[in-house]
This record gives sequence, structure tokens and C-alpha cells, in this order.
Amino acid sequence: MSRLNRRTFMTKAGAAAGSVAVLSALGPQAFGQDKQVRHFWWGNPERDRRTFAVIDLYNSKNPGTVVSGETLGFDDYFTKLTTQIAGGNMPDVIQQGYGVLFEYIANGAVVPLDDYVGNSLDISKIDQSAIDAGTVDGKFYALSIGANSHMAIYNSRLFEAAGIVPGEDFDPYGYTYDDLARIGAQVKEATGVPGTDDNTADYQNFSDFIAQKGVKMFNPDGTYGATQEIVEEYWSIWQTIRDAGATPPGPESAGLAGVADLSQLGVVTGKSAMSYLWSNQLVGAQGLMEDTLGVAMYPNTPAMVPGSIVQPSQFICLTRDSVDPEAATAYMSAFVNDLDITAILGLERGIPSQVDVREALQPNLSPAEALSVEFFAGIQGKTAPLDPPPPSGSNEVEQTFERVAVSVLLGEKSIPEVATDFLAQAKAILARA
Amino acid sequence: MRTTEGPYAMEKFFRRNFAGYAFLAPWLIGFFLLAIGPILASLWLSFTKYNIVRPPQWIGLDNYIYMFEFDDRFKKALQVTFSFVVISVPAKLIFALGVAMALDKGIRAIGWYRALFYLPSILGGSIAVAILWRQLFNYDGVVNSALRLVGLDGPYWLADPKYSLWTLIVLAVWQFGSPMLIFLAGLRAIPQELYEAAEIDAAGPVRKFFAITVPLLAPVIFFNLVLQMIEAFKSFSGAFIISGGSGAPLDSLLFFTVYLYDEAFSYLRMGYASALAWVLLLIIAAFTAIAFWTSKYWVHYENERG
Repeated sequence: MSRLNRRTFMTKAGAAAGSVAVLSALGPQAFGQDKQVRHFWWGNPERDRRTFAVIDLYNSKNPGTVVSGETLGFDDYFTKLTTQIAGGNMPDVIQQGYGVLFEYIANGAVVPLDDYVGNSLDISKIDQSAIDAGTVDGKFYALSIGANSHMAIYNSRLFEAAGIVPGEDFDPYGYTYDDLARIGAQVKEATGVPGTDDNTADYQNFSDFIAQKGVKMFNPDGTYGATQEIVEEYWSIWQTIRDAGATPPGPESAGLAGVADLSQLGVVTGKSAMSYLWSNQLVGAQGLMEDTLGVAMYPNTPAMVPGSIVQPSQFICLTRDSVDPEAATAYMSAFVNDLDITAILGLERGIPSQVDVREALQPNLSPAEALSVEFFAGIQGKTAPLDPPPPSGSNEVEQTFERVAVSVLLGEKSIPEVATDFLAQAKAILARA
Repeated sequence: MRTTEGPYAMEKFFRRNFAGYAFLAPWLIGFFLLAIGPILASLWLSFTKYNIVRPPQWIGLDNYIYMFEFDDRFKKALQVTFSFVVISVPAKLIFALGVAMALDKGIRAIGWYRALFYLPSILGGSIAVAILWRQLFNYDGVVNSALRLVGLDGPYWLADPKYSLWTLIVLAVWQFGSPMLIFLAGLRAIPQELYEAAEIDAAGPVRKFFAITVPLLAPVIFFNLVLQMIEAFKSFSGAFIISGGSGAPLDSLLFFTVYLYDEAFSYLRMGYASALAWVLLLIIAAFTAIAFWTSKYWVHYENERG
């Protein structure tokens, strides 16, 4: 019976291969005591480089814990996270932004940190304002990893070539849309490059403008705050800037509506001299460019009512699916407190909310980082108060704005028509959400 | 199954067909474990409100009612998809037939040409080609550079809703390889005597095409039509990549599948997206049924009498 024919050979070989596979699958759990922590973030090449360096450092400092990193671009990040929620395999530690965060908290995907505070998680040195921003209904959910504000960035070489001196020809911390039309056209005249990106389809600029008009984007009852007049005025202002020759042609800007990729910014591609983003993106954008960037606030109306807010750029949060919350929160704690780790992170995610970290970073800032610190000093007292979390559906309103604004850029419909259309859609979206 | 008599019929049947089922097994297992479950689940989900994080909530026909009564983007998506199907499918078939007839002339190294022309069909649905297409039709892209050489100022192909759909139609037509191969096989099956007889009767090439080629090729044309139509309705990746995932500009590339994806993954309306998927299935089924029904009048099979 022990003759080895082909069938028994195959069976035995198969069994052998199977047991090897089973052993190796059990491997980490059976033979090691390592705690596993998965950290997932969205980012750009610069952020990925820094964050992976942090993970390496943490792993070497903490034998017994193995942190692994996963990263995606912003657009794909939430899609993947969604499928992970459905599959019940979210990473332990995830990055969240102001706005979306509250939906995750409401849905229970992100869990409170209160049990870990004072044990594995140290928040004693974190600014109270940052803690408040991550607190909902008295429970602390989200650890801020940097303060952020709206920022305009310009190509200093092109501005210089056009003879524009910041501070003299325009005040970077208080200039008007008219100023922008003037200097934008001047840059175009002198260099051939349009002076500014066209923000007709830019919701970030539009949200600033709503506040500049003294209105809240969402009424207390959750309906939309912007009026027909405000929407029309906003698009008319940009029409004026476009007509002054200060922006790329309308159809070209239309092609970029809703694109969030830093590498597509006009100032990075060289198609304009000024682009608009979040201040924490300055480091990433400068990393993609040869020319030096200068910074300014978003343009304002002559009344100079503050429009930009300062808010946490990002948070790190603990998820419902975390296998080892102790290890995960210990890692989160190091991420915001450990001076070696925060030295690697620098200001790439925004201005840190931890006081010792800020002081330690000060002497070793890169030029772009020093510039963002200078920017934060410059905007003091010129920003608007932080609004309560937006209602659900706000994300869809934003994308609708970016979509319909394209017909303004293409000149397909009149501004009042598009404004009416947008407000009707916004109303329907908020009612449905 | 011919023998159904006797107590051992089943056993006999399986013994005789065992090899066949064994070879089919991977597909059968895949179908029952991976396909049929999700298909039925999506039917059920289409009657619920489901955002993934919270459990699904039964809402009856609400998704379907909202779709047909209030959803303007749904109507826009239907309009874009129909335009795409109605233009791209005939264009692709005509092009494929033209190339097949050119290749049917007994050219040397025909195998090479066949492979060469089939290549776009393999590549065409890929993400890489969609990205390449984006680059080609950019304002500063290859197409406009070529136009500039002959003194023409090309439009913003991708940013202008008047032109954007055409870039995808061209992409679809470019993938003419698989219908071409099927046409080629069909052309080979037409007896040469018919053409010779027609030539004796002094029929010109146009007459020969419409009197011999088209009628005898009708079953193959019909087969290609149905296949390509279904494929066009389901088309996704090109529109998704070229429109940046949103159907932009101005929803001119809002293919039904892109809208479905947007609802599911941007806004987490899984129940509504499932309802959209079932509506798409019904639309495809209806169009296929119509095609089969009309085929009675224009498709004749050689072995048919009458």
C-alpha cells in the first residue's frame, strides 16, 4: 500500500505545502508578541516620505510594536476608507479632516479617546482650542495634527519680473479683488503668464467670500446661508478679474474645476502666477517647484470683513476596528508629542498644536516652513471665528458648486441663471441629506 | 441529457459528464460564491437606505420614485449614455466592417495586421489608455499640436461639454478589434461563387456589398450589435478617468455607470446606487430584447427555410 503512485504523491505534497502555509500564516501571532498598528493617511510625496520616516523611527524606538503605514491621494482616500468600514477592517489610526470627521463620529466609525487620555495618550501640552475642535458632545475624539488656514501662494520670480513689490503694490494680508485684477493683469502684461488662477469654481474661495459678506454658510436650521445676490456677486467679481486678462482663459480653468491635486495648481504647472490652497499645503507645493513661493491671504472686499478661518488641518483618530487601542493610542501620542518624531513631520501638516513641539521646531525650519509660521503671525486678528461642524450634505453642495460654476467659466449661461440653479440644487441636497 | 430513465440515471449522468463539470467548477464556484450573492444582495439593497456604516433601512420603492420623479442627474446620465450608445456603436461597427473587408482581400502577413488592429481592444479599456487619451486631447496635447501644424486652433476637447463626449466616442471606435475579427470570420464564410455570379451579371462593388455581403453577414452584424451595445451601456473606466471621476465638464461625461459610482462612493448612497444598477440592467435587457425582436425582419440564417 505504500507504493508511491502519482495520486498519493500529489496528496502528500499538497498536505506538506498546506501545513507550511498554515504555519507561516500563524507565524506572527504564534511566535511573536508584536502589537500591530496600522496607520492610514492621505497625502502627497513629501508627506509620505516624512510619515514613513516617522514610522521607522517609532518602530525602532518601541520594540514590540510594529506600526505599518498606508497612504493614498485625497480623492481615493475616503473611497478606500468607506469600503474598509463596510468590511470591518479599518486601520487602527486614520487621518480625518474637519467636516467629514463629524459624520464618522456620528456613524460610530471613530471612537472616543477619553479612556486613554492620561494613560497611553498624553494631551497635557496640546492647545485647548485644538482639543475643543476635536470634542463632540463632551467626548474627545480627534487629535489635531496642525492648524490650518486658507492661503494664496504666488511665484516670487514672476511677481518680481512684473515689478510687483508685496507690501507696496498690494498688502498680502489685506488686499481686494480689485487689487488682484490689477496685479494679475500686470503680471500677464510683463511675463505672459496670467497673474492668478481663476477661482470661479473654487468653493474654498467662495466660502471665504460668504463670510466676507457677513453671512454664515449654513443657517442654524441647517439650510444654506448664501443668497442669490452673494453668489452672483462672487461670480461677477471673478468675471471682472478674468476680463481684465488676469487669469487663464475660462475653458482652461473649467478643466481644472474640482481638481484637488497640488501638481495641477496653476502656480505649479506654470500656467498662472498665483494659486489658492490650505496653508499646510505650502510645503508640499514648494517641493514641486523651482521658483520660490510667496504667500498672501485670500483676496477680500474693500470692507475687509475677515473670511478665512483657522481650523485644525487634520486629525488622527482611533477607529472602531482597532485591534489594540492601547498600542494605537500610544503611537498617536508619540505622533504629536515626541520631539524626534515631530521634528521629522515639521510643519507639513500645519502648525502643530503642542507648545513644546512648536518651540523645538522654531530653530530648524526650512524656508517654506518658516514662511508658513510668518504667515500665521501675519493673519492674527484677520481671521473669522470657526463655524460649527457643517451639516451632512455639505460635501455634495461643494461638488455641485464646482460643477455648475463651469458653465459660468464657459460663458454658457448667464451668472444669475447659474446662481439660481446652484441654490435650487443646494436646497434640494440639504433637504435630502 | 438523453438518458433519464432508471434508478441510476443521475449517477450515470454525472459519471458521464464529470470531466465537463470538473472543468467548469472554478467558474461555477466563482459564480455561486462571488456573483449570485452580491447580485441578490444588491436587489434587496435597492429597496433600502444604506450608507455602509449604519445598517440598511427598508424604504420600499422610495429610491425608484426619487429617481424617476426628482433626480435630474439621473436623467442627464441617461441622456449622455444613450447619446454614447447611439453614436459609438454604429460608428464602431461600420469602422470594424470596413477594416475587415480591407483585410479580407488576401493581403500578405494578414496575421500581423489582425494582431495589430486587435491590440487597441485589449488596451482600450485600461486606465493607462484613458490617461493617455486625456493627454492626447488636452488643450496642449498631441491632437491640438497636430491641428496647429495645419494652422487650425483646436478647441478645449475635454473642458468643453460640446466636444468632451466625442473624445470618448473616438476612444470607443478605436477599440474596433473584436468586432473586426468576428466580421472577418463572417466574411470568410460567404461563398465566393456568389460574388463571381454577381460579377457575371455586371454588379458593381456597391451592389455586391448591399445585395450579397450585408444580407449574408446579417447574423454576424446582429451578434456584434448586441455585444457592442451591452458593452457601450456598461462603459465606465474611460469616462471615469477622463472626467476626473465626476462626469465633468458640466456632467457631459456623466455615463450611467459614472453616476452610479459617484452616488455609491462619493455620497455613500449604496441603496440608491443599487437601484440605479438594477435600472441599468433593465435598460440593457430591454434594448437587447428590442434588438432580438427586430432581428426577425432583417437577420436571416442560411439554414432557415422561407
